[in-house]
Amino acid sequence: MTCKEVLDALSDYLDADMKEEVVTEMRRHIGVCSDCRAEFDTLSMTIKLYKHESATSMPDGCHDRLVKILEIEKLKLKPGSTKTES
Amino acid sequence: MNPRIEEALTTLGDEVLVRKAQEDDDRAFGELVSRYETKVYSLALKMVRNPEDAEDVLQDTFLRAYRGIKSFKGNSTFSTWIYRITANSALMRLRKKQLPTVSIEDADEREAPVSIADWSPGPVDQLLNQELQQVMDEAIEALPAEFRQVFVLRDIEEISNAEVAEILDLSVAAVKSRLHRARLKVRNRLAAYFNENQKQKRAMGAQR
Ligand SMILES: [Zn+2]
Repeated sequence: MTCKEVLDALSDYLDADMKEEVVTEMRRHIGVCSDCRAEFDTLSMTIKLYKHESATSMPDGCHDRLVKILEIEKLKLKPGSTKTES
Repeated sequence: MNPRIEEALTTLGDEVLVRKAQEDDDRAFGELVSRYETKVYSLALKMVRNPEDAEDVLQDTFLRAYRGIKSFKGNSTFSTWIYRITANSALMRLRKKQLPTVSIEDADEREAPVSIADWSPGPVDQLLNQELQQVMDEAIEALPAEFRQVFVLRDIEEISNAEVAEILDLSVAAVKSRLHRARLKVRNRLAAYFNENQKQKRAMGAQR
């Protein structure tokens, strides 16, 4: 495997989405080639960092505004219908 | 409102709620909204990168879902379907802002020198500070919209290649190719930051 082939296949390697023979070859190459090892380390680190992105919650009032907009749409689409409370 | 009905709805599966919503049961649709609004908002925010636009995408997504629920055939799960609407709505919003699109088939992933060996893979928690967080945000913002979609869905939301392909209506091969290029672009931004950091530290050390 050339360095270019290794670089092109890095994402599949990191995602464990490749054939066992290729994995072995990749592992061997990364073990001896410092350039490709740096590529591997930094790419896997990048992915790890983003996995830590915190979960978001909706801002105040966001839910109520959404419900209101859907309520207006309902009256437009189904003019005969009454409010949810019926 | 009958509290017993409300309670019963929360115990039903998505498929049943969809069927009820298709039969004009607006409370069933309301339950789907409660179930998915945070996920949709979160996905939207990660794609459009600001709360106002994210809320617009959220509203647009559920309006379209409400109007289109009867045409939802159940070939995919409801969550895949609602994510698809979210991704499309976010993409349209980004296009309006004239973000670079994927048609620029540049190959700049490789332009950065691989002097990145210094980027020590230490514990993630130690690296994560406010400054790095900002660099990470900028790296996503610098991605063309189509790359950003794939990166957010795969590497932040951790959705599988196959499902991302379904959400974005792409082949799995296209998802993988975009993901790889997106990752390299993002990595290059972070590498530039780490290299600069390192240089500054060394310069500060030399002054002493
Ligand atoms: Zn190599």
